[in-house]
Amino acid sequence: MISRTSPEIGGMGHPIKRKEDLRFIQGKGNYVDDVHLPDMVYGHIVRSPYAHARLKSVNTEKAKALPGVLAVITGEDLAKSNLAWMPTLFFDKQMVLATGKVLFQSQEVAFVVAEDQYTAADAAELVEVEYEELPVLVDPHKALDPGSPILREDREEKSNHIFHWEVGDKVATEKAFVDAEVKAKVHAVFQRCHPAPLETCGCVADFNAATGRITIYLTSQAPHVHRTLFALVSGIPENNIRVVSPDIGGGFGNKVPIYPGYVCAVVASLTLGRPVKWIETRSENLQSTGFARDYHMTAELAAGQDGKIKAMRVKTLADHGAFNAAAQPTKFPAGLFSICTGAYDYPTAFCEVDGVYTNKAPGGIAYRCSFRVTEAAYLIERAVDVLAQELKTDPVELRRKNFIPPHKFPYASPLGWSYDSGDYDAAMKVALDTVGYDALRKEQQEKRKRGELMGIGVSSFVEVVGAGPAHTFDIAGIKMFDSCEIRVHPTGKAMCRMGTKSQGQGHETTYAQIVAQELGIPADDVTVEEGDTDTAPYGLGTYASRSTPVSGAATAMAARKIRGKAKKIAAHLLECSEEDLDWEPGKFFVKGAPSKSKTIQDIAFAAYTNIPAGMEAGLEAVDYYDPPNLTFPFGTYICVVDIDKGTGEVKVRRFVAVDDCGNIINPMIVEGQIHGGLTEGLAIAFMQQISYDESGNVQGGSFMDYLIPTAVETPHWETGKTCTPSPHHPFGAKGVGESPNVGSPAAFVNAVVDALSHLGVKHIDMPIAPWKVWNILKEKGVVN
Amino acid sequence: MSIEIEKTFQAKEPIEQVWSLLSDPRRVATCVPGAKITEQVDEKTYKGTISVKVGPSATDYKGELEIVRLDPKNYEMEILGKGQDVRGRGSASMKMTSKLRSLEDGGTEVTSVSEVNVVGILAQMGSRVISEVSNIMFQQFTKNFQAQLQRPADAASPEAKPISAASLAWAAAKGAFHRES
Repeated sequence: MISRTSPEIGGMGHPIKRKEDLRFIQGKGNYVDDVHLPDMVYGHIVRSPYAHARLKSVNTEKAKALPGVLAVITGEDLAKSNLAWMPTLFFDKQMVLATGKVLFQSQEVAFVVAEDQYTAADAAELVEVEYEELPVLVDPHKALDPGSPILREDREEKSNHIFHWEVGDKVATEKAFVDAEVKAKVHAVFQRCHPAPLETCGCVADFNAATGRITIYLTSQAPHVHRTLFALVSGIPENNIRVVSPDIGGGFGNKVPIYPGYVCAVVASLTLGRPVKWIETRSENLQSTGFARDYHMTAELAAGQDGKIKAMRVKTLADHGAFNAAAQPTKFPAGLFSICTGAYDYPTAFCEVDGVYTNKAPGGIAYRCSFRVTEAAYLIERAVDVLAQELKTDPVELRRKNFIPPHKFPYASPLGWSYDSGDYDAAMKVALDTVGYDALRKEQQEKRKRGELMGIGVSSFVEVVGAGPAHTFDIAGIKMFDSCEIRVHPTGKAMCRMGTKSQGQGHETTYAQIVAQELGIPADDVTVEEGDTDTAPYGLGTYASRSTPVSGAATAMAARKIRGKAKKIAAHLLECSEEDLDWEPGKFFVKGAPSKSKTIQDIAFAAYTNIPAGMEAGLEAVDYYDPPNLTFPFGTYICVVDIDKGTGEVKVRRFVAVDDCGNIINPMIVEGQIHGGLTEGLAIAFMQQISYDESGNVQGGSFMDYLIPTAVETPHWETGKTCTPSPHHPFGAKGVGESPNVGSPAAFVNAVVDALSHLGVKHIDMPIAPWKVWNILKEKGVVN
Repeated sequence: MSIEIEKTFQAKEPIEQVWSLLSDPRRVATCVPGAKITEQVDEKTYKGTISVKVGPSATDYKGELEIVRLDPKNYEMEILGKGQDVRGRGSASMKMTSKLRSLEDGGTEVTSVSEVNVVGILAQMGSRVISEVSNIMFQQFTKNFQAQLQRPADAASPEAKPISAASLAWAAAKGAFHRES
């Protein structure tokens, strides 16, 4: 158990209001587009209308002639400095500006720089590009057909195949399926989605020719890694690069990759010697930057007649678009998809994934998920429901029969993970009680008799987050530790700098609460600063729910180092030995004589004014934390839907989300994260898809077609919790930001399928738009 | 983005007169908003341009028009048009099959079925916009065509002006929100 500090200190568990919100709600945030520098000029990208075409000529004369235009950069220009291509974060390369041909609609073709953004946009219209259309490959299932065009002429391998990856015991799994009494199979497409953060991507590149330094204000979830990559690709010495991620308006994985626009702005600033701003439009963001999912999955479960699962078999096709721009640890081509065995206890599984190229925007980023965990959780939770249908058993009963029991933790999963802790049935029980499951089933029976459609969907997901242990996890070679530096000032106030970067998660509050918990310095007295690579310690950034598991742990460890030194100073001040001292949040006191004490503030002052002989002055520490394992948050979500037969519209009547993320730092922030993630999950399940027509035209390239839920569409969320601390984390936390996005899609889909299961419906692919449901009702003869 | 558009309109003039106009690309082009025939390549092939403006997106297609089939006996024709935007913002192609039928009152009914394929920025706007835009273009075409019929065949005809961005976008928006059911 975590001891509870006073409300004045505001340590862990206190629902204190977010410190950063004061400036956000007053419009005083400072986002990249708020950066205005003297002499700043603006960039605009000319993009390809074609999904696949030979680039015959790019004529920039008319654009250059427009008054106010300073430069027009083409792929050929970049090629002269060997910058026409750049490495992606996953063993591939990507065109910065096209040379030779274009491979997806909206691909970057030229970069126009002008005195103001309107002139830049006008000049972009004047760039004349001649294309010769080529056959387009849209369907990933056709990528490997002999007749399909080979997209990547730059690669030695003349194929659209990117990788094959497999894990598990194939032989044992095959045997389990041969012996199985019951089998269930589901083919589920997790459609191409986009994180669509409120703030689009952009940067201001500011090269100072006098100092030789470049400052890049960047919408980056990982500023330190981006600085290193800029140094490696551009050759600029890393000490001369400063990346600043100011306030970030949502990232969700979309701001992990480096995008061509950033590189162009840097090149333009180096060329012109002036600050260059480039900010995406909404459509540019949706059409060209990192998409998520696009996993075409088949899952099979083998089980006994008694409902005990024996094995799982998964085959998946991953559509990466034109370049494999997935942002994930290098040893995991399909991310952490092998968490797909879920919350269930069975001995064997086998999973294989093939990645292919198509004429679509590049990516495969982790949208609010720890690298393909959302796809995995969706797949197993759908498959278990299909198995329940095969067995004609209740999906809740089937889950409870197969849950990994609490005594089996740490649990070795059949695909190689060591689950740190879990009590899945506890979360299930809270969810069932909250929603009133048995009564709902009864109601459903009665409604069916009356011809009304109502469904209950359950999802008992397990996540794997907090990458990660340095022995297994790295991004582009850099180990996935993270860091915290704490400086306690003479007056007892503290400054905390991190290797992570908040995009709205509330880091300025939660890290301060960790310091408050560990040192007793009130959270109000702790300033948290992130995102400036000149001042913050190196870290891998914020994504994959890793801030609390890794940087949060680093914060606790750095604070404990400070407490160690503080104890020595306290002993010096109280003229006793360290062994005679006890700690309570905020002060050391002499055992048995609590009135003889020194507060952390007294000690901080002494650290600069009255230190013991031989001790260094100051009270600060830095910690680079390498987690011994990942953390495994979990939960049970239950969704209740009613379906309007006339329109096919699904109405979410209730949604109960019970999460277990271990010990909680700030319950209000956790709840906010869950509300946000559930709303995203709702949008994915019912509204969102980046689709392409047969010519490769984006059909979800604006908010006209890529729908964002408003308060009107969003139901009331009912949240609950259980607490199973992580045994290896310094304060038992697990990470929570992604759980609702990971766990909810299956709950929504399971509820809709459940409402239609008596008609023989076993699966519906997302997004479940009203027309899809209405077509099914028509096909099944429910409506005319 | 591929869409099929089927249209029917009537003219007061007899079938021969309608046919003679419809089967002459130079004259028909003057009825198409924003279109212009610039060159005759051979008996069946013409070069030309067409401007389509939808909201902020102005697309100037430059391409070829080919008469694939001309059947004066049955008053049927098939034409194929293909073009690329001159500023490299996309392409469009259209296969249009037209058929004439005499009406009892002596007039003529023109039925055309077009398969339109659009690639590029215009295509991203989706079929709802493209259908509305083509509806408006068709209405203007019909008006121009009927006016052209009433003109003597050898009279010089004014070129149809490209439709203005604002009016077309507004009309398309109105069409989208006030659809007849």
